[in-house]
Amino acid sequence: MLELKKYGRQGLKLPRLDIGLDLSGPFASHVFISHGHADHVPRDRRMTVYATAPTAAIMKARGFTGDVITLPFYEKLELPTAKVQFFPAGHILGSAMTYIQSDYGNVLYTGDYCNPPSPATEGFELPESVDYLITEATFNLPIYKWLSHEYLFKQLQSFAREALNEDHTPVFLCYNLGKAQEVMHALSPLGLPVQVHNGGITLSAIYEQYGVDLGNYETYRQDTVHKGILITPASTLENSMVQNIRRKKTAYVSGWASRESCRAQLNVDALIPLSDHIDFFSLIDLCKELNPKHVFITHTPNAEVVRYYLTNAGIASTDLHQEDGYDD
Amino acid sequence: MDMMIEQPYLPVPANSFLKFCETAQKIAETRGSKTKTRIFADYLTQLNDEKDIELASQFLGEGAFSRISGRRASIGHRTASVAAAAFCEIDYEMVFKPCRTALGSASETMEKLMFNIPEASAKRRPRPFSLKEIEEEFTKLEQARKRGEKEKLLLETWGHLTALEIKFYYKVLGQGTLRIGFETKSIINSIAEAFGKELEQVRYAHMITGNLGKAALLSKRDELYKAEFKMFQPLSFMLALPLENVAGVNLNEYIAEEKFDGMRCQIHINENKVALYSRDLNEITHMFPELVDVFLRKKLKNTVLDGEICVYKNDTIQPFLNLQKRMGLKKPSKAILQDYPVIFISYDVLYINVAPVFSLKVPERRELLEALCAEHQIAITNQFDPLDERYLEERFKQALVHGNEGLMLKKIDSTYEYGHRGKSWLKVKKPGGSIDTVIMYATAGSGKRGGTYSDFTLGINVKDDERYEEEFIPIGKAYGGYTDAELKQLNQEIRPLVVERFGPTLSLKPGIVVEIEFDGIQVNKRTKAGYTLRLPRFKAIRWDLSPNDANTLEDVEKIYQLKLDEYREEQDGSGSFRV
Repeated sequence: MLELKKYGRQGLKLPRLDIGLDLSGPFASHVFISHGHADHVPRDRRMTVYATAPTAAIMKARGFTGDVITLPFYEKLELPTAKVQFFPAGHILGSAMTYIQSDYGNVLYTGDYCNPPSPATEGFELPESVDYLITEATFNLPIYKWLSHEYLFKQLQSFAREALNEDHTPVFLCYNLGKAQEVMHALSPLGLPVQVHNGGITLSAIYEQYGVDLGNYETYRQDTVHKGILITPASTLENSMVQNIRRKKTAYVSGWASRESCRAQLNVDALIPLSDHIDFFSLIDLCKELNPKHVFITHTPNAEVVRYYLTNAGIASTDLHQEDGYDD
Repeated sequence: MDMMIEQPYLPVPANSFLKFCETAQKIAETRGSKTKTRIFADYLTQLNDEKDIELASQFLGEGAFSRISGRRASIGHRTASVAAAAFCEIDYEMVFKPCRTALGSASETMEKLMFNIPEASAKRRPRPFSLKEIEEEFTKLEQARKRGEKEKLLLETWGHLTALEIKFYYKVLGQGTLRIGFETKSIINSIAEAFGKELEQVRYAHMITGNLGKAALLSKRDELYKAEFKMFQPLSFMLALPLENVAGVNLNEYIAEEKFDGMRCQIHINENKVALYSRDLNEITHMFPELVDVFLRKKLKNTVLDGEICVYKNDTIQPFLNLQKRMGLKKPSKAILQDYPVIFISYDVLYINVAPVFSLKVPERRELLEALCAEHQIAITNQFDPLDERYLEERFKQALVHGNEGLMLKKIDSTYEYGHRGKSWLKVKKPGGSIDTVIMYATAGSGKRGGTYSDFTLGINVKDDERYEEEFIPIGKAYGGYTDAELKQLNQEIRPLVVERFGPTLSLKPGIVVEIEFDGIQVNKRTKAGYTLRLPRFKAIRWDLSPNDANTLEDVEKIYQLKLDEYREEQDGSGSFRV
């Protein structure tokens, strides 16, 4: 059985291989970072880590000052204890699954991932043989099943178009890194002016650098915001930046938007359930396809239903969150 | 989520249940009551058939059956959920329940699972159900006696519905509001808009018939004038707005009376029959046979009164705690009747002889009521001019001395605004009291509060109490009184306190102290504390206090005893009411 240790909220370590995954602190010789979201990047900002080039750029843009050794997708890194490769995870630009081949078997750590992949990423691909799968399960119940990107992108476009036709500013509420760029990418065929919350601008430039079309965008400007589309995090909904737009239609864009209760809690005009995480059904299918010896589940408050489905499929599993109790 | 993606047949007929559901969903997804009203009005005008118009209004506002029909499909939440799990071929305990906990809504869970789970989609072959056919299904469910039969009916119907329809099928079965931010008042607006009628007329027809479907039908037929009041068909009650104090109220515009701590009641009387209705329009005649006898003997012509039932003994109004002994009994025993005799104290009249009088102003109704009560020896409140704040304060104290809750202010220039809680009636109440408690459990809310911990079980201190091994025991559950910001903060602050999780409930370490306000304390032998609080609600989150500062069970017992032993002045005709 694979030995696996949890560090803090997100970090994992394979002690026998001396390898850390999204790990913060001096606990492993080789640390691999799955993607640039804050909950996966080390809090210790001066470590030396491995990441894909786009992830490295994102980390630097967000204040990481340590050394990031870039490892291109699919390229094998030979360590004394193991061979390590990144596979595209389809979550955000640069997001990677870490594949570790060693005498202890083949391990795949998914980080955050999405299959089918977000069109604003490098895609999604699995390695051939996996003995141990360490997977996230953010959307941990069969109430979560995503509609196709094609359908949701059309929904984003028609929301924007209809709002503008009625002389309203469409405001998309979504996270600054990843979702914002995915929405910009979805809207780019419209050719309309888009303004973006300040926190999303440098990150958007990185996306463009890696060839993702984000359309015609600029930083939020109070005097002209009403003339186009605004993309900003949900946390700014009550700020003057959004409140000052007199005629607006707001849409919350997130996997959580699939829940009706969001409507009353956020007080928005539309819920668009576009997620960059794998949904419950794809997760179960993926496990069945890989058919690993063991699945370790992280990043979910409750893995019981996932485990129940895996057990029924004859796949053994462990809930890493449960093991350590609640620490978030 | 835009679930109108399941379109099994096109075009969707206007009179189909699917069209109804799409309309309801659109209303749910729309902000702004004007737009919502227009959506439903547009939909109503698309329906040509009278029965369809009636059913659509009824389904949206009242449920599978009209409210006054008293009919119910009577399907338990569990029965329906277990059936849904069976349809989806999933385990109820292991899969359905966690999903429902996460969403906080059984109907939404059904919709999602029926749509997502391949086994469920494969079984569903949606076909157009007309509104009338859906009503037939509801009737079959009502008539089925056994749970198994009801289950079978559900499974059969689901096999022909889209996921969206399954959600609303279940919501409509629940009787009452669909929770789509579109209540009776808005539906009446839509009916008026759809058929080009005066809002007041439609509202009146609704009040008289007690039935949204009928109001829509009469509007469509241009027969609103036919709306007639019927005896033994309860009217919605006029409700009072609670006030903390009377500052800012123009007292010249009001008359005042004492507010009783009893059971609100509408009584319909004629020579042969007496019926009593509670505030939620349920018939409660059987609970109070002595009132039936009293009013039958009076040989009144058709009369409807609004008033309050109180336990009344030794010329004294008894605590609400005593009235509770009379509530919920199918038939009170002789002993109960003797120990807890009740009186009906009238304060309004809605119908006399041949005509409704609720469109008369307060003084005119009062005059009729006084004459009637004098002639037939019926108890009637004593009204008085509130004069000024100081005088009112005195009368407030006096009302408490009589054992009452406080005062009512009624606007002189107002009609009987059925089903409405507005500024025409104001109530000034003394809170029952408040205690400091500790949050012991947090439970995820449902509906609007789905996914947020919004229900809190509150404990009192029994550390030094010989009777208990525990440190804290529950005294009540509160799910209101906090602001959105406070709720958000509470949800953050409870996280580090979580000890255990069972279903939607978190067990917490004592850490957060809440000052709880309540209307009263009552004995409840089935609880650990032996007492429960009436209407507990948050008064303040006491971040400044620690769990050790929480009140003890002994404190609660003291408050209870004080309340029971409170001096209550006898009624001599010049007090709260006269006969």
